[in-house]
Amino acid sequence: MNAIIEIKDLYKIYKDQAQEVRAVNSVTLSVGEGEFTAIVGPSGSGKTTLLNLIGGLDTPTSGSLSIAGKDISRLPGKQMTTFRLHHIGFIFQSYNLIPVLTAKENVAFVMELQGRKRDEIDRRATELLHAVGLGDRMDSRPAKLSGGQQQRVAVARALASKPQLVLADEPTANLDSKSAENLLDIMEQLNRQEGVTFIFSTHDPRIMAKAKRIVTLEDGTIVNNEQRMAE
Amino acid sequence: MIANLAWKNIWRNKVRSGVILGAIGVGLFAGFYSSAFMSGWVAGTVSSDVDTYLSHAQMHDTAFLANGDVSAFFMQAQAAEKIEQSGLPVSVSFRLKLSGMLASANNAIGVSAKGVAVEEEKAVSAIWRQIPDTLGAFLPNEARMPVVISRKIAEKLKVKLKSKLIFTFQDATGEMQSVAFRVCGIYKTTNGAFDEGNIFVRRDDIFAYTGLPDGAVHEAGVKVADMETCRLVVPQLKALFPELDVQGWGEINPMLAVSMEMMEIFAIIINVIFLFALSFGIINTMLMAVLERTRELGMLGAIGMSKGKIFRMIMLETVFLTLLGSLAGMAAGVAAIAPVMESGIDLSFMMEDMFEDFGFGSVIYPVLSVEMFVEILALVIIAGIISAIYPARKALKLNPLDAIRK
Repeated sequence: MNAIIEIKDLYKIYKDQAQEVRAVNSVTLSVGEGEFTAIVGPSGSGKTTLLNLIGGLDTPTSGSLSIAGKDISRLPGKQMTTFRLHHIGFIFQSYNLIPVLTAKENVAFVMELQGRKRDEIDRRATELLHAVGLGDRMDSRPAKLSGGQQQRVAVARALASKPQLVLADEPTANLDSKSAENLLDIMEQLNRQEGVTFIFSTHDPRIMAKAKRIVTLEDGTIVNNEQRMAE
Repeated sequence: MIANLAWKNIWRNKVRSGVILGAIGVGLFAGFYSSAFMSGWVAGTVSSDVDTYLSHAQMHDTAFLANGDVSAFFMQAQAAEKIEQSGLPVSVSFRLKLSGMLASANNAIGVSAKGVAVEEEKAVSAIWRQIPDTLGAFLPNEARMPVVISRKIAEKLKVKLKSKLIFTFQDATGEMQSVAFRVCGIYKTTNGAFDEGNIFVRRDDIFAYTGLPDGAVHEAGVKVADMETCRLVVPQLKALFPELDVQGWGEINPMLAVSMEMMEIFAIIINVIFLFALSFGIINTMLMAVLERTRELGMLGAIGMSKGKIFRMIMLETVFLTLLGSLAGMAAGVAAIAPVMESGIDLSFMMEDMFEDFGFGSVIYPVLSVEMFVEILALVIIAGIISAIYPARKALKLNPLDAIRK
């Protein structure tokens, strides 16, 4: 399996007056294409920081970080934005859909940013919304959807740009258990269908149960990197 | 796509957008209305002064303007022939112009008498239309030695129609001449200063007393189709008559020209002030709109929307808001102005005399023009863009991390 993420000796150090906080401390990690990986650990262990670094939303203090063979650790802002647009999908804890757009428009938006053709955008947005079980709610605005439904739209949006990597920060934290199970099933299915790599930061044991690999962080350092056999 | 999102974003907070749209609309309505009003005032005053006494251009012997010398004349036939040969699209009234005293049995005042040929004068000036039906006519053929005076002169000299008046002036030889006329018409223009000192007689009636050679005149009043033609014709007339003093209306009455320009500048200044004040409202509204969307704008950055596109989106939201408010305001302005364009707005109930003393009509006919639309729209767009820059820059400074952290 080819590695989609290659991290070598990565540091993220925040300086707070006299104190130095090592949010990510000498992390070395390789994640293969199509993996379904959970990053777990207690609060403050550096999960979100690591995810932000992988997503190019934050820059590392030192070390190297490659996504799909491209070193993104020192990419300038504009190039990083373009890289994210084409290679990385995001799922946020609080959905973060655009409230004035319908479900379908939200999914289509990223593809429009990519400059894809109208009919292709239309087709893929419809397919993805059907895939996440919202074929009948395509014209609903986020305010008319439940939390679980909104997060499913967010999953469809994250996949719309055909990214190689989807990063999900606590995606089930705001959902009831039924919606969370449902969302996980959908993500697992899409992971298989689309061959997209999923990385979660999570506390949720249900995600951990489905993950093929669990990376445990403590004080910014990987203390366990457990690969599970496919079922 | 960005335009579509920007448009939808405007309607997120309908009350807030409604308030700022209302403010822009009312501001632009006021600005548009005042512009139309001032333009009407300008156009009305100029056209009334051009029609009654200025003409689009005047020609005199060079010495005439300096001292009003009766013997500073030029020959009508030659001038008329030159104009005809040039093919210029003008109507010309050749006049004698004599300063003297006009006396009734009760009083005497200094006036300027214009000796005119009736049909020529009617083609150039509208003074004959300023005589109400009940107050006679403009130098009718059947009348003997008729004179047209103004209502102000009639009041000062305490005369009415058919009253006898004596006009005394110095002829070309320096002799004093006194000629008796009878009032055949009483006019009233909107220019009080003009009314106080001008009378009209037939050129042929007074010519015999001037001591001038046959065919001599003092003044040619020139009228063309419109102001645009005037701008073109005046330089051509100047070239055609290098020996004469040819002046456009703005040169004859520079005060009028300057005050008209001032009014136009005023109208623009008023609009700029309106828009300047509105800009603060727009900036405030857009800043609120940006700050309450911190998370969403961060998310847009995170999913790959470039800063340039985010900047453009906020700019477009502001421009849409401004344009929408302005178009609504201007539409309301047109709706309010259109009905009174023909009938005019009568301000005579307040200080009619004061208006007329300053040479302004007391009935204003507002004017709408394409230039005005374009000018105001351009100002609005500029104000919108300038107001958008600060909120849009603020949006650019947001970090996508804010989205993922919340």
